[in-house]
Amino acid sequence: MSANNKQSAAPQKKGGFSLKNLILDNTVPIMFIVICAICIPVSGFSPSYLINEIMTRLGRNSFLILSLLIPIMAGMGLNFGMTLGAMAGEIGLIFVSDWQIWGIPGMILAMIISIPISVALGVLCGKILNQAKGREMVTSYIMSYFINGIYQLVVLYLMGSVIPIIHSSIKLPRGYGIRNTVSLLQMRQKLDELLAVNIKGVRIPVATLIVIALMCLLIVWFRRTKLGQDMRAVGQDMQVAEDAGINVERTRIISIVISTVLAGFGMIIYLQNMGNLSTYSSHSQIGMFCIAALLVGGASVDHASIGNVFLGVILFHTMFIVAPKAGAVITGDSMIGEYFRVFVSYAVITIALVMYETKKRKKKSQAAEQLQADQQAAGADGKGA
Amino acid sequence: MKNSRRLLFRILTVLVLLAIAAAMYVIGRGHTLYFDNTSMEYNGQTIEAPYRIDVYVGGERVAKLKEDERGTCTNIGQKFSMDLEITKEKDDEPVTEHISLKLPFSIDNIVVNLPALLQGLDEDAYYSVFVPLVQEPAEEEPQVDEFGIELTADEESMG
Repeated sequence: MSANNKQSAAPQKKGGFSLKNLILDNTVPIMFIVICAICIPVSGFSPSYLINEIMTRLGRNSFLILSLLIPIMAGMGLNFGMTLGAMAGEIGLIFVSDWQIWGIPGMILAMIISIPISVALGVLCGKILNQAKGREMVTSYIMSYFINGIYQLVVLYLMGSVIPIIHSSIKLPRGYGIRNTVSLLQMRQKLDELLAVNIKGVRIPVATLIVIALMCLLIVWFRRTKLGQDMRAVGQDMQVAEDAGINVERTRIISIVISTVLAGFGMIIYLQNMGNLSTYSSHSQIGMFCIAALLVGGASVDHASIGNVFLGVILFHTMFIVAPKAGAVITGDSMIGEYFRVFVSYAVITIALVMYETKKRKKKSQAAEQLQADQQAAGADGKGA
Repeated sequence: MKNSRRLLFRILTVLVLLAIAAAMYVIGRGHTLYFDNTSMEYNGQTIEAPYRIDVYVGGERVAKLKEDERGTCTNIGQKFSMDLEITKEKDDEPVTEHISLKLPFSIDNIVVNLPALLQGLDEDAYYSVFVPLVQEPAEEEPQVDEFGIELTADEESMG
């Protein structure tokens, strides 16, 4: 009995506040805070410029990153397959540009067009990921390359030849295929400019922030629904969830479908801010940067919150803004800053994955030790009796 | 019962989305308008262009047109209204006229002859379709290697 009491007291002590644990749990955000703290004064940017830039990027990227939360909740890790949704969003934008539907109606129509494409791609991705349980991230990463090939086939060869495209401004001169760049000038920052306010030189895209806030509320509400609870149960333990009567595979597919659809919407919001669409490359790095931003915010493969999204966007993009200038000041070559920020985004993903794996193994060995101790205690009790 | 309710709900969702899409398709249709301040002949009648027309859309001046000049603006939707500040002769006082137009849905680029519009002529007199005369040069597709990296001119010549 006394042995049990001692064992139960130990985790309580671990659960208490410890600076070491705090640092270990937040290594990546702390690293970024340090990098930003060094780079901001070196870059020499004014606070209003920095805040303006961060605000713009917050509006541009947050929705995309929020789309990653639901698969994490369902235990599917970081969904590199969000690129699929991004491609669906781009297809919606290509059609809308061809039909000359401008402004916010154009954005809404592009979102509606992207839904069936995202759902189809999400179902396909979800089914494949169900065949690769435990290796979802690498599978979804390769899946995004596979679908990118199909996307290029559709956009480069079928659009204009099989799929009607009218306007020569977006069609390649040979008569079929879409140009490298599609102008979204008539849609550019229409959402950001709606209800925008200017506070001391800082432009706040109120409508975009409202959309993002609604999305956050939707996620909070979704977590409390039956489906959301099922996803959490699946994320914690698939076997237990299965035994509890939850259709694990269906739940996982739904989580990927929701993520893909939201990524499509996010990509449209992202591109309306940019004002043009790089047909063959806009989506290629988007998954990588969104995941890097989320990890920078302190998320891990099995846990992410809305707070991680916003902290990640702020820290990651502050580094993105200041790194080239800081690099130019320190080394005299702005390209080093450019390389630095790309290198950092890959490095962050690597560090986060290594840390996650290390923690997982540590927990596993602690659990094994605990089990061994329990068995020894039970054996000693049995002998005593 | 539960399945039929679910099916009904799904059908309703699809219908609502289709209705929103249709509404957006109509509401968001964009047009580029070209305003011409040029004299024209219509049914044997000569319509003279005024000395100057200033075009205001939403309180903002989008074009300042002297004779034989062209201005442009964009509009979302089929309803378009503008204020024209017309100066007939060089030293005349400008006269302002408010004009509302219903734009044809199917045409992207519409040329509006302002003198004909101000004369109150038929639509076919002042509306025409803008056709760009200059053909764009053919865009060459970039040559890429097996990694998708664009080749330089030297590398291309080396095959």
